Amino acid sequence: MFGLRDIDRTLRGEFRDDIGSIRLPSLLFANLLLAALYGICMGFFGLFARGSEWEYRQMIACVVKVPALFLLTFLVTFPSLYVFNTLFGSRQSLGHLARLVTAAAGVLLAVLAGLGPIVAFFSVTTINYPFAVLMNVAAFAFAGALGLLNLFKTLRYLAGKAKVAAVVEDEGGEVQVPLVSSEPTIDMTKSRGVFLLWIVLVVLVGMQMSWVLRPFIGSPDMPFAWFRDRTGSFAEAVGKALRLAFGAGQ
Amino acid sequence: MRLLRTIDAILLGERISPRVALGAVTLSGLFYGAVMGTFGGFAGDRPLQILYSAIKVPILIEVTSLLALPSFFVLYTLSGLRDDFGEAIKAVLGTQAAVGVILASLAPLTVVWYLGTGSYNEAVLFNAIIFGLASFAGQRVLMRRYAPLIARHPRHRTMVRLWIGLYAFVGIQMGWVLRPFVGQPGVPVGFLRESAWGNAYVVVIEMLLEAVRFRR
Repeated sequence: MFGLRDIDRTLRGEFRDDIGSIRLPSLLFANLLLAALYGICMGFFGLFARGSEWEYRQMIACVVKVPALFLLTFLVTFPSLYVFNTLFGSRQSLGHLARLVTAAAGVLLAVLAGLGPIVAFFSVTTINYPFAVLMNVAAFAFAGALGLLNLFKTLRYLAGKAKVAAVVEDEGGEVQVPLVSSEPTIDMTKSRGVFLLWIVLVVLVGMQMSWVLRPFIGSPDMPFAWFRDRTGSFAEAVGKALRLAFGAGQ
Repeated sequence: MRLLRTIDAILLGERISPRVALGAVTLSGLFYGAVMGTFGGFAGDRPLQILYSAIKVPILIEVTSLLALPSFFVLYTLSGLRDDFGEAIKAVLGTQAAVGVILASLAPLTVVWYLGTGSYNEAVLFNAIIFGLASFAGQRVLMRRYAPLIARHPRHRTMVRLWIGLYAFVGIQMGWVLRPFVGQPGVPVGFLRESAWGNAYVVVIEMLLEAVRFRR
């Protein structure tokens, strides 16, 4: 239902044996659905932060912006991954690469959506804006770390599978039989470097994108706005939240 | 005695049905909560405080689990142990039943303590210690119930630690939001404290900073 079965299979790691069997549209849809779910949870802060006046627009903004954040970050960074992986990594088709990355994003978003109820609970009961900022950053970081670990686990699995296939082939006889497989083989040592650099890029672009799309949480001291002017930066804002949460600003 | 046999099963980590576990949490939570709410006495609208406190303890235990459950489910699936999730939930639920029973067994102590002190702060502190003690003792049941799972796969150990962390993180805030449990004498009775919304962690950080600043 809604591609959630695909998410489930991704989480279980069932796709690893056959990346090609991932139905990209439905997995993508499920990803966006999970992102929107988290958006609802995130939006509770904006909804109640202004006291008696319920800012429902902040919640609508969150529901739209969280999926947009992921989709745009993906669109911006994916071309570089494809080009650089083809140049320096191991040859993989565009579709294969897209499925690999979408599956990893699915893990990230499932963890994020899982944390959703906790985030919603704290958002409803907390009026402290810096705390809300730090909590959401921490949730994203936690989910991101798990998505990342899963991506590398998949890569290692694919590399291992390629290697095993090669050994069998060597023992088979003197005749070099070309390895017939629907899956492209992955040279782990090369691919790892490309993916690591790409992850750094994704994190940077994601932070930048989240800053472009802000406000997500919505500071209670500022009037509601769908977007804010181009000032400040993500790092600056998180630093400020840290300082404020630990009392230095008061 | 069927009741005693059930209590034994709960404490020893034997197999109990989820319904029995849930019933045990609810009943013993209601009981301890009611005792907890008697600090302000029985005069006037005070019985209302007893009722509120009674309702709040099971809410504290059960709603906290409900909030932490989705993350736990996703993490379990991700760790490849999804097939054991049902058993893990049963272990957790059984542990909560045990915490409830332990709390109920400590209720007489609370009564004596209430009789022996007029200080509200002391009553709050005493209850904090009781809850801490019950949670600590509950860990023993949790580990006992988890032992077969850990024996099957060591990764369950990480999962149970994650659960404890998640539960504590949410539970502390839940306890803070659901205040007052004890009910300060002289303060009007209400289900939730006026302007109770707030963040336990922010409050603790502010208190710590205040203490550091004071010393400086």
